[in-house]
Amino acid sequence: MNSTTSIPGISKRFYPLKIFAVILILCSLALFPFISDNRFYISLITEMMIYGLLAMSLDVLLGYTGLLSFMHNTYMGICAYAVGLFLIHISPTSLWLACFAGVVFTSLVALPVGWVQVRTGGLAFALLTLAFGMMFYTIVWKWYAVTGGDDGLMGMPNPDITLFGWHLGSSSDPVNIYLFTLTVVTICFFLTRRIINSPFGAVLEAIRENEDRASFVGINVRRYKLLGWMLACILASIAGALFILYKGYIGPSTMSAFAGAGVLMMVLLGGMGSLWGAFAGAFIFIYIQDYISTMTEHWEIFLGLFVIFLVLFLPTGFAGLGDYFKRFRKA
Amino acid sequence: MSGTFSIAIDLLLNSLVLSGVFLIVAMGLNIIYGLSRIMNMSHGALYAVGAYIGYSLVATGVNYFAALIITPILVGIIGLLIERTIILPMRKRSMVYTLILTYGLMFFLDGMIKHIWGNRPRFIELPEFMQGMISILGTQYPVYRLMTLFMIAAIMIALMLLLSKTKAGIIMRAASTIPEMVSCMGINMSYVHMGAFMLGCAMAGAAGIIAGPLTTIDPLMGGEMLISSFVVVVIGGLGSLRGAVIAAILIGFVQTFTEFFITDLAMVIVFIMMAVILAFMPRGLLGEGKFE
Amino acid sequence: MKKIVTISLSLMMAFVLMSSQQVFAKDPVKIGVLVPLTGIVAQGGLEMKMGIEMAAEEKGTILGRDIKLYVEDTQVKPPIAVSKAEKLVYKDGCKALIGVFSSGVGLALASNIDKLKVPFLSTHVMTTEFYGIHPLVFRSGQLANDQTAVGNVKGIMARPDLKEKTYYVLVHDYAWGHDAGQRFIDLAKENGIKIYNEEYDRAPIATKDWSSYISKIKASGVDGVYIAFITNVIPVFAKQMSDFGLQGKVKTISAAAPGPLELEAGGEACFGIFGASDWSWDVDTPASNKWEMAFWEKYKTIPSDAAAHSYVGAMNLFNAIEKAGSTDAQAIAQALKGISFDGPYGNVRISAKDNCMRNSAVLTETMAAPENPFGAKVTMKVLHTFTAEELGPPE
Repeated sequence: MNSTTSIPGISKRFYPLKIFAVILILCSLALFPFISDNRFYISLITEMMIYGLLAMSLDVLLGYTGLLSFMHNTYMGICAYAVGLFLIHISPTSLWLACFAGVVFTSLVALPVGWVQVRTGGLAFALLTLAFGMMFYTIVWKWYAVTGGDDGLMGMPNPDITLFGWHLGSSSDPVNIYLFTLTVVTICFFLTRRIINSPFGAVLEAIRENEDRASFVGINVRRYKLLGWMLACILASIAGALFILYKGYIGPSTMSAFAGAGVLMMVLLGGMGSLWGAFAGAFIFIYIQDYISTMTEHWEIFLGLFVIFLVLFLPTGFAGLGDYFKRFRKA
Repeated sequence: MSGTFSIAIDLLLNSLVLSGVFLIVAMGLNIIYGLSRIMNMSHGALYAVGAYIGYSLVATGVNYFAALIITPILVGIIGLLIERTIILPMRKRSMVYTLILTYGLMFFLDGMIKHIWGNRPRFIELPEFMQGMISILGTQYPVYRLMTLFMIAAIMIALMLLLSKTKAGIIMRAASTIPEMVSCMGINMSYVHMGAFMLGCAMAGAAGIIAGPLTTIDPLMGGEMLISSFVVVVIGGLGSLRGAVIAAILIGFVQTFTEFFITDLAMVIVFIMMAVILAFMPRGLLGEGKFE
Repeated sequence: MKKIVTISLSLMMAFVLMSSQQVFAKDPVKIGVLVPLTGIVAQGGLEMKMGIEMAAEEKGTILGRDIKLYVEDTQVKPPIAVSKAEKLVYKDGCKALIGVFSSGVGLALASNIDKLKVPFLSTHVMTTEFYGIHPLVFRSGQLANDQTAVGNVKGIMARPDLKEKTYYVLVHDYAWGHDAGQRFIDLAKENGIKIYNEEYDRAPIATKDWSSYISKIKASGVDGVYIAFITNVIPVFAKQMSDFGLQGKVKTISAAAPGPLELEAGGEACFGIFGASDWSWDVDTPASNKWEMAFWEKYKTIPSDAAAHSYVGAMNLFNAIEKAGSTDAQAIAQALKGISFDGPYGNVRISAKDNCMRNSAVLTETMAAPENPFGAKVTMKVLHTFTAEELGPPE
């Protein structure tokens, strides 16, 4: 159901240039807040990284396991609410405990949902994600007493970021949140990359390519699909924990079906089946959206046109650009 | 005024009207999906376009009934343009791409609506005889709401006749089950897809002008209708026309009755119902949906 | 491989370019305008923007520097509004924020004001939680929920025909709606006005088809309904009430003033909506008449309450910056306390105690408009004028 540009095994080869590029990007990201004191860009890049993580988590599901989730942002939202509620009602200072509780809670929600969903595949799976997503969205939206309904969760405390008793700074400072997000996202990226390149990842790709054949060679397809789903949901929930720390706020609009389609768009923009492509997609999407909506009050027209042109002329996404140029040169 | 029986009739009619509007929109979505495997995310926006075109026609002095005929044709033509320009090149690609493409189209159409008609709500001016109330089974009910039921029934009958009696309809039905066979018969599937897309868009336009006077016309009407019709289509089973009828009636009744009796939980119950139904019947009530 | 290097280098370049944008000191005074231009209240947002732009044009310069407005669309979504506020403050260098529709958005911004560190003057946030919420957060605009409730209850008490009615309370399901509904119910009970449902109904903001709610109102047999809806929705509801033959039988009292363009769209179906608001073009004072004609000349749009109080709010902010003598956040905040402006609806003063405005207001009922220069068919007829002291809250 999808075309991918990744060839199994190729990423395991050693490329000094690639490593150099990764270090360059990471260093420039890490140094950015010290070069520029423009807090707007610090916030923007924080948001891009968080959505990049979310897009990557969806890509694990879509690009590697071949399962489409319409509303992956739901699980980001659930975790953000859980972390927020934990900090507000239980302990306003324990950041790590809150994040841990949020991820565990989201996993507990995602597990039964995943268990039901993996019994199907293809479009039925996708529609189930929509059904459950809408259900969670409406519950959050209408449960005013707990979630704050349409107004969202407010009054989030700003816990200090500490590591093994070592105080790193308050989360109310955008620079701290930026660095914290960068660290967590980088760790998640490399962990996911490791998992995807392991035999487990190969099984997921086998399921994507042909479920029947995968089951013939003795793979428990449902079990692996469920594991893939849980991996994606846990990554999304980490994005959710970062989101609420960064925004200090979470509302139902973050969990809506339209926001979900936005995340899907990021993955497509970056190119399915490419982990760093998902980040590129999120970066481009958020920047374009921000840029266009500042330029004109009719931003919807231009965003729509942008999406249409992109799908028509760059279907393999940003990650596929290289192949496109290669083909162009040959021709 | 507050007899239990008349309230029951009120609720029954309200449910039917709501179901009817859902049905027409969902039917259009289903025809497009059933024949060409495209989930049209811009369907809600086309519904809004229909309502606005209807408003403009009536506001410039066109008779309401004439507008009722012209609007679906115009929206169908818009559908034709969309299909030939941007959907056609996407035929061979995965469904995900058309999904995102039509999602972009939805933004574009919504933006255009705001650009042309502005943000404020509009109301379609109805002919005098449709504005009043009528006494039916002991309750006073608005004439127009009752009339929409007849209009929707008429559209559904026309659609049924089209699909069962005309050659185009038979080709369409055949194409939804075995497209390869239809192309073997020497019929250009491209035209079948085009016809299906036009018909689906025309249905959205018809729903727009019928539902316009019921509530109000504003730029947000499309997005909301898209979600509702999606729920109907998914519960009924993708591409299943009969399933859509059952699901539309189910959702219309559940939504109306929960709004009346347990107001605070109205939408929650609809979506929990959807999740439960799909959990047990992943392909919907009358699942004829196939994946690609 | 070259691809990766190219990409990483271009990213580096982008960062350098981003960080090199400097904010120059001798720029015009930059004000960030946050209004909804898409979403359910887009029309209201447009009117707010008009009012603020009109004020900026009339004011001309502050401290000898030009006024430059940066308008951003909040889409009535709190997270987007917060991002836009960050952009306005950190990227564009705005020294103050003004506008904001919806209590949810307003509260989200108020909770982020510590990060933004600029004064924020809201013109359209009605929740009572705004009283003294933060030293940098102010309100000068739409009447707050407690003030509206006082106005509406006083209005009902003064009319024998309205006093005896039983009221059904129906609100939009978000912070403002809940607050408005609860304020009215509490005050009405104190005054002996009968309320049908003390556990008031909460309808989703997206509700289009009100038929179930109208059936409920019909079934309850009440003869009055108190609605707390977003302005644009009021005529929609009124239209459907009229479709179901309840117009005239069930009196509609509204917590928010309906926008004039929406009233025009609804036409006769919107007659008879009763409620308190800051201003309506029916107010007949020289200041009001002069302002509404100036507005009409400029925009060729029927002047609305949203435009009027946004204009006044903007004037208060501009004057405060002038008074402060600098664009320092604390200085502006200090100057805003107790400042006042004489506008189309009299003196509007920002209380030094709780940072929220006190002003006189009018009680109106929608009916057929007399001959008017705007070509409007519906007017909010002024029945009574309240003084600022009457509406409170006491200082």
